[in-house]
Parts: sequence; structure tokens; C-alpha cells
Amino acid sequence: MTPPMTPLDSSGALWNPREHNRNDCEWKLTVMATSAVARETVFALRRQIAKIERTLPERLQAPAGAAPVDAPRNPTSDVTPQNPTADVTHKNITPGDLTIVRRGLAVAPPDAFLRTGAEGLDTALSGGLPKAALSEIHGAATRDAGAVAGFALSLVSLILKQGPPRLPVLWIGTAEVFREAGFPYARGLLGLFGIEPEQLLFSEAPRLLDALWTAEEAARMTALAAVILEVRGSPQRLDLTATRRLHARAQSAGRPVFLLRQAGEPEPTAAPVRLVLSAAPSAPRKTIAGPLAGSMGRPAFTVSIGKSRTALPGQFTLEWNPDERNFEERRAREGRARQERAANPVAVVSASRRGKDPAPASGAVLAFAAVGSPAAGDQPSPGERAAHHRPRRAG
Amino acid sequence: MISHRQANAQRITALDERAEALHLKRGMGIADARAMHPSIDVVEADPEADRRLLESLADWCDRYTPLVAIDAADGLFLDVTGCTHLFGGERAMLDDILSRFFHQGFDVRAGLAATPGAAWAAARFSGDRIVAGGEEEALLAPLPLAALRIEPDIRASLESVGLRTAGAVMAAPRAPLARRFGRSLLLRLDQALGRLDEAVSPRLPVAPLSVERHLAEPIMLTDEIERLVKMLATTLKVDLERRGEGARRLALLLFRVDGAVSRIAVGTSRPLREPLLIQKLFHERLAALEQDIDAGYGFDLVRLSVLSAAAFDMQQADLAGETRDDGADIALFADRIRARLGDSAVLKPVAVESHLPERAVAMHPYAEAPQRISPPKKPGKIQDTSSKPVFRPERPIRLFRSPEPIEVPATEMPEGPPLNFRWRRALYRVARAEGPERIAPEWWREASGQEDAPTRDYFRIEDSDGRRYWLYRQGLYGASQLPPRWFMHGVFA
Repeated sequence: MTPPMTPLDSSGALWNPREHNRNDCEWKLTVMATSAVARETVFALRRQIAKIERTLPERLQAPAGAAPVDAPRNPTSDVTPQNPTADVTHKNITPGDLTIVRRGLAVAPPDAFLRTGAEGLDTALSGGLPKAALSEIHGAATRDAGAVAGFALSLVSLILKQGPPRLPVLWIGTAEVFREAGFPYARGLLGLFGIEPEQLLFSEAPRLLDALWTAEEAARMTALAAVILEVRGSPQRLDLTATRRLHARAQSAGRPVFLLRQAGEPEPTAAPVRLVLSAAPSAPRKTIAGPLAGSMGRPAFTVSIGKSRTALPGQFTLEWNPDERNFEERRAREGRARQERAANPVAVVSASRRGKDPAPASGAVLAFAAVGSPAAGDQPSPGERAAHHRPRRAG
Repeated sequence: MISHRQANAQRITALDERAEALHLKRGMGIADARAMHPSIDVVEADPEADRRLLESLADWCDRYTPLVAIDAADGLFLDVTGCTHLFGGERAMLDDILSRFFHQGFDVRAGLAATPGAAWAAARFSGDRIVAGGEEEALLAPLPLAALRIEPDIRASLESVGLRTAGAVMAAPRAPLARRFGRSLLLRLDQALGRLDEAVSPRLPVAPLSVERHLAEPIMLTDEIERLVKMLATTLKVDLERRGEGARRLALLLFRVDGAVSRIAVGTSRPLREPLLIQKLFHERLAALEQDIDAGYGFDLVRLSVLSAAAFDMQQADLAGETRDDGADIALFADRIRARLGDSAVLKPVAVESHLPERAVAMHPYAEAPQRISPPKKPGKIQDTSSKPVFRPERPIRLFRSPEPIEVPATEMPEGPPLNFRWRRALYRVARAEGPERIAPEWWREASGQEDAPTRDYFRIEDSDGRRYWLYRQGLYGASQLPPRWFMHGVFA
């Protein structure tokens, strides 16, 4: 099955030229002349970008056969029935077609990418997140700080799992962001991401300028596994120049720099990839007797690709497995989980023993995963629910 | 030109030469002085400022010897033992000190002697005199009793029995003197004559190692200072190597031509002796202090001191001559950040044995954090439970420094999780909840008799958008008149 990436409706970057040669329309021929000029302009701009970013590809010109198909595309034409390959992935495309789209990255060695393990996201990012680069991770509001930090840390956890172990991770933040979004808690990081407290270094800078300086110094170090820079809002200092400096240092050191931005506007930066994160409702915990309704299982994130020169826009729901330390992509599972909850309603709240109306002990004691809630054994059975234990609708 | 002080009456405490010429004296009332000479200029005394001035002068005198002590309100002791030859002998040194002070605008009297007492007397009573060893008695004999540094009441009682000069006291038999006037008189006498040692207690701790460079042409530019630091550090390296040590704290002293001294200190997390790295640290420190250091007319003496040193562990290099040590890179990085942004710029979390979430992790500055010791993993021994717990409760990934109060209008059950809550003025609907996890306060830490802190019931909460929070209710319903309060303590991934 093809991964559930968004169909190629809104992007004109990736599509099969042969398809269009077949369904040649008249209007395409009429705009051919103008498109050639536009294409040249695009190529010239890309060449310039590539020069700035030092990722000059071997070939910049399009393959000969692809020339006539660079006409401006009507977005609706992709979803018409004449275009059966709308859900084509990169893998089905011949390398010749990719030259335009995957400049620079197509020639990069395969280990230059951090594979998240979620097939859809990896494919959309054409191999994963670049390892030696600046990557932006955005959260829409400060209250999303948990999801943003959690996703970045799971990436760090993946890096630590693959790369040389025991290298420390430096987390730089301004005093403001640590005050507003909470200071990273080493116990939680150990439990969820397997990052030992000895591997963590924090730097709290009173001003953004100091935080940026620290990040620049840290980004060039090979003795750090990853650098996380966390900033709140859209400060003016964090502009194209500042991010370009970070990106260049990350490239030369070969280490990732994650720029976490809480409540920031998507601004032009030098980061090749920007992911927009939000929390996703968690699935219920899995037990031997099936999913435990009403419980909160593994952390889940909704990742959307906000910016990437190569990727398609798309939205993915990932679930982090703290035990295996890998991502699992959630597809229709969430809907199923909802159904299960509706079919087997149980009080979402475990009763406390000291309450005025103590719930009797349930008949079956369920086994829990290592990350169990200590009071979960007090779940009342459905039949013995008190009158006020109505199942609550989410949201 | 006269300063004065309040002692229930305005009195003259100090006066300049022209005022002396008008026959004004110390201790005279200001009203009397004004009656005599209405045009005198009276300035309020400021002992604090005088003290600061004296301290900055003491700093400046550091260029002659590291052993500088402040004597009362208006004097400095310089222990120049072993330093005079650097300045061309005792006479040359004294002249140098006097002329430099003169050019700075100070009227200074100095004395140089083998004992602090004799030097004190020489400076105050005979003026710019060098007393050779053994001549102390000849120096002191004609001087008044005040030259012996004794208390005023002892002096008064000595004078009342007719002993008016130091010579007279020295000639008197010792035993009756001690009996009648106490031991302090003889102690001072013996110290002045060199029969008893007197230690000058220096104002600043003496650096175990320091190197300095006098400059014919003052320097002003930061680059030049940094280059000089590297040069000095190269000299220092030899000494450090001989002692098998590396520097843990370093200070750079910049002596400005006009007498101001800047003191710049850096700390290192590992013993350090490499000149280039020392230069790098000072580069960051100087960059951070750019505005605070005023080069003025330039610095004419630069000194690099090792304030504290530690044993330097030699490292085994591999055959290529390369030592691969990532820890060293990070230590240097942390030192540079620290030099620029302060001691707590790089923090390291350390797990602490405590079940209170906010106490379970302590933050240490990188340099002071305990180095990692890999725990011995032997069967049968008690494992370090902090790193590998048997049961690991879920903990948030971010914790607020202080729990933030939230408003909980209603809960489904008295002791259950909230249905919705208001945090930072926004309303959140609870979709799912787990808990409670009860965390009791650490009663063994509380003072006896003090009322117990309320227990906390923690809930994991997921709101309607899927964000997960860690809330707690402080106290129980019915425990007191007031309803229990709710707090937001952390955020989950």
C-alpha cells in the first residue's frame, strides 16, 4: 500500500512527465514558450541558492525529454481520473526526473539522512531529515511546547540510538522560553527517550543574542550528538543570516541542530526543512486483554511539513514508542480506537479509595506496560459504575 | 580644603598645607575655624570613598609585590622581600613608588625597613627613609611614643610617668613595664625592633604562580592584550609542567598607566595549561567585558596569575600523536560559555534520590557537577535505583520551575481529575485523564512541630486537542475549610 501522503495536488514539483506526454492538451502547448523562460528563471534562482548553500548538484539542466512538460500546472488536473499516478512516490520516478527536484540531495550519501522510521514521513522528506543541517520544528502556540520538545527529543533519541553513544546533547534556550514552556525535566527524558541525565547539558541564556552565540559555538562541535536551540516567538535577530550561520556550522560539523520555535511565525530561514508539530490524541494503552479504554498510551504527534525544497506538503500522525525507541505511523488506527472506546465505555477516571463513594475493586486486574499509572488497578468494572460515572466524550 | 566629621560636633579631621598655614588644627570645631577664617572650604568626610581609594591603591601596588596589606585608614604595607632587585634596589624602588604616586597626584610618605613596625615609624615620623637592618633602635629612639603603634591610653599613661620618647621606653626595665602597661606595649616594641616576627596579612590571597610583563609602551587594544596573554601563558606553562599541575582558576591583572587596575578572572572545568586555550578563554571574557574595561591611556603592566591549580592528568596519546577526548572539547566549550555568560551558563542535571519531582533533579554548573562514574554493575549489589528503577512512573518532559495555579471549576468526583480547567486564562477541556498518583511531602525534611505540607495527587490529563499535562491537587477535600488548590506542574510529550 502506498503511504497516505497527500496526493500531489498542490505541488507541481513531482509528477510523471510521461503521463503528460500521453494526455497532451492543447493549452499546454500554447503556454510552452512562456514556461521555458520561467523555467530558466527558476533554474537560475536554484543555482544561486545552491551556490549559497554549497550544495551545488552535478546537473542542473532538465533531461531532454522533460522539456515540454514544465508548463504551469492547473492543480485540479492532478486529481482528474486521467492521472492515475497521482499517488506516485519518489521511488517510482526515474532518476532523470529527479534531477530538477532533488538537486543536491539526490547525490548525497544515504546516511546523510535521519530516517524517522515512519514510512510516509521518510518518503515525503525523500529519505528523512538531513542529519548535518539545521532543522526547524515549529509549534503553533506555547502550549504545544510538550509536543515540539517531545518530537525533537525523539529525533535525538534516534540519533543516539544509531550514532556513537554517550555523546552529550546540548539544549540551549532563552530564559523566557524556559519560564513559559517549562524547563526540560531529566527524569522524564530518561523515561521516555532513554537519554541519560549525564548526557544532557542545558544552557539558559538571558538574552537571545547570547543563546544564538552559544548555539553557533555548539553547532561547530563534533563532540555533541545534537544541539537544540529553543526560541519563543519570532524575534528579529533570528533572521536569514543567523540561521544561515547555524546551518553552515551544522553542515561542516556534520551534526544536527534543531531549532525549536514556540509560537513562531513561519519566516524565511536557511533551514532546509521546517516541520510544524502539534499534539495528537493518544491511543489507549495496550494490555494483554486488549486496549484499555480511557487510558493514555504512548505520546503521539501530528507532523506537517511546513517547508522543504524537496518534500511534498503532508500531514502525518506519529506515535513514539518509548520502549523500542522508534516511531510508528498511525493511520486508521485512531478511528478504530475511537470505535472501541464507544463500544466499551468505561469510566475514564479511576476511582480513588478515599472518596465518599468508594468504588468496589474490579474483578480482573490487568497487566500494565512498564509505564503504567500506579492507580490504574482501581478501575471499576463497567457494570458497577456509580451513577455519576458517565462516560465522557472527548473534546 | 578641610574635611570634617560629625561627632556630635563638626570637627576638622584632615586639612591640607594651606589650612595648616592658617594655624588650623585637627580636632578643632568647624564653627571655631569658620570664626577664624570665614573663607575656608569645608568638605564632608566620606570614609567609604577613602576606603575604596585605598583599596584601588593597594591593587595598584600589586605591581611591586603580591603581598599588600591595608593598614588602618590611611596606610599600606608592602612586603617587598625578594622584590627589590626587580626594580633596581631598595632606593630605586622607593623612588619609583614615590614618583609614580606623585604623578598620580598623591602626597605619599614612605619608609622602608626590615620590620613593619620600623617601616611604619619611618614613614610617619622621619619621612622617605630607608632603615638598614639593625638600625631600628637608632631610628626609634628619638621618636615620640606614637611611633610605637600603641593604644592612646597606654601612651597617655606612659607620658604621665615621664616616658615621652620611644628611646626612654626602650631604656626602661621590661618587667615593670609589662606589669604596669600590659603585654601589648612590649609586643609592639619587640616587633618594631625585629625581636619578634610580625606577619603582614595580604589583602588578596597570594597566587601560587604568576607571570608578568612590564611594557615600555602602554597597550590598549584587546588583540594586543590577548597576544600578551598567550605569551605569558607560554611562560606559565613551563612552571605548571614542572609542578605537574594545571590551572583551575586564572586571573589577568591589567595595570593602567594612571593607576587603575582591572582584574579579570576565568575558571576552567579541567586543569589547563595549554597557552592557546588559555588565550581563548580570556578572549571570551574580554569580549564579554568589552564595555567594562576602560583602557584609558593604556596598560603598562600585564600579569597573569594562577589562583588555584590542580593536578594535571597526563593523557596517553595514540601512535598518531592524537589524543581523542571528546570530554576535553566539551569542557573547553563549557569554559568558554562560562567565561562569557557567567558561572551558571552551562548546567548539567544530576539525579537526586527524592520522590518529589522538583527535587529529583538538581542542576549543577558544568564545572562543579560531579563527574560521571560508571556504576559497578555487579550482581548481588544494590543497584543505583536512580538510573534503572524497577517501576518507572511516567514523568513529564518539561517541568515548570514553580507550579502554576490553575482554576478548576468542577471535578467529576470529589477526588477525581477536573472536567475542565483554566490555565493562563485559557480554558482547557479534559478529554482523558489518568491518576491520581499521590506524592507525599518529605516529612523527614520538615522541622518538627511544623504542620505537614499537604500531599499532592497528580493526574495526567489530555485535553481535547491531544496535549498532555501534569496537574496536581494540593491537599484533600474536607481537610480544611478551603477547597484544595490545583496546580499545573509539567507538560508531557
